[in-house]
Amino acid sequence: MQDQILIEMKGVQKWYGGYQALRNVDLTVRRGEKIVLCGPSGSGKSTLIRCINRLEPIQQGSIVVNGHRLEDSIKAIDVVRQDVGMVFQSFNLFPHMTVLQNCMLAPIRARRISKSEAEATARKYLERVRIGDQAGKYPAQLSGGQQQRVAIARALCMQPKVMLFDEPTSALDPEMVKEVLDTMIGLANDGMTMICVTHEMGFARQVADRVIFMAEGQIIEEGAPDAFFRNPQHARTRQFLGEIIAHH
Amino acid sequence: MTPHFGLPEFGFLLRGLQWTVLLTLVAFVGGCTAGLAVALLRTCGHKGVEWITRIYIGIFQGTPLLLQLFVVYYGLALTGLKLDAFVAVAIGFTVNASAFLGEIWRGAIQAVPRGQTEAAMALALHYSSRMRDIVLPQAIRISLPATIGYLVQLIKGTSLAAIVGFIELARAGQIVSNQTFQPLLVFGVVGAMYFILCWPLSWWGSRMEARLALASQR
Repeated sequence: MQDQILIEMKGVQKWYGGYQALRNVDLTVRRGEKIVLCGPSGSGKSTLIRCINRLEPIQQGSIVVNGHRLEDSIKAIDVVRQDVGMVFQSFNLFPHMTVLQNCMLAPIRARRISKSEAEATARKYLERVRIGDQAGKYPAQLSGGQQQRVAIARALCMQPKVMLFDEPTSALDPEMVKEVLDTMIGLANDGMTMICVTHEMGFARQVADRVIFMAEGQIIEEGAPDAFFRNPQHARTRQFLGEIIAHH
Repeated sequence: MTPHFGLPEFGFLLRGLQWTVLLTLVAFVGGCTAGLAVALLRTCGHKGVEWITRIYIGIFQGTPLLLQLFVVYYGLALTGLKLDAFVAVAIGFTVNASAFLGEIWRGAIQAVPRGQTEAAMALALHYSSRMRDIVLPQAIRISLPATIGYLVQLIKGTSLAAIVGFIELARAGQIVSNQTFQPLLVFGVVGAMYFILCWPLSWWGSRMEARLALASQR
């Protein structure tokens, strides 16, 4: 069970017009693994996770998620998206719906569960991210940290097998970063498979099984957090870590 | 002896007003329905379809409405399709409205942040749910001031229907004025009727706009 492969990317290449965003990326993620992706801006880390749920198409290579090959079959994309939750830098909550409605919509529409069951699930996960008392509010009435926790609950309501985090704390005021990171740590402790694009190196040390460093669309280096931070192999990684630490 | 402007004349104007309102409603409801289809096709992501709707919008925005009414009324008659004046102008206004509303809503759909669609896709929501539940409710809100503005233009624009012999408010006013030789009084009343229809809508539209501006500042 622990060794089961959940995501397998092989030889993935992606271009935006003439610009190559991903160069020959190989990545295997096992069930329960927590991976932190870091790298300078424009290194392709966000693009990489956006390929996993097909928000971005790839031009070459293959991506298999939970046994489903993400080719151009609409059906496969659909199944994969049900299994893959995503949290965005800018939250992307639906502003015209209450917190509860945000969490109930997709399970009702995509998983076709009943309204009452969807509401029970939504309330459960809103409790879990400690925001159950705000269920009737609209996103604009919440702080950034609260909105991001709602976004996490909304993704969890689909009962995904893996969660993708795309710089979830980058748009937050400093005092709100912790509440979101704590929620993510709780999720990690519960055994969720996670891929996180983040510069929060404290978080990486605490929960990551592997830290992956990317630059110019390639995976440069990866390793367990201890070894990665203490003894980075590549000059490019050392330079990046130096910059990160200088700013934190 | 020429009749003075009295109750019968006023009643005639009211019937004209009725036809103006009816024509506006038919054109607006029909234009909204067809315009929604135009807006969705215009943003569907299929290059060919987007081009065809772009040409459709271009034709109806790029030629005079008067000409379009002539084509529907006289042009279709030439092909053997003899339409009642009301039906003909209703078709003309509906098609014209679909192009303008379609373009207004195209802009509104594209003004909904991309992240909304991405979040919906990441949640495995299909196109129909993404549009119905996420994009359109927000787009309609964004487009409300422009849509109301267009409705006001449409109400006043229905006076063009007079050209194919349809008696709506403006044409009714002209007839009464010719009979009574009291143009200032008659057209004053006609103008007041248009104003009573349009002004509350304009006021509502600008209030919506102010509220939206306030909301986007937050």
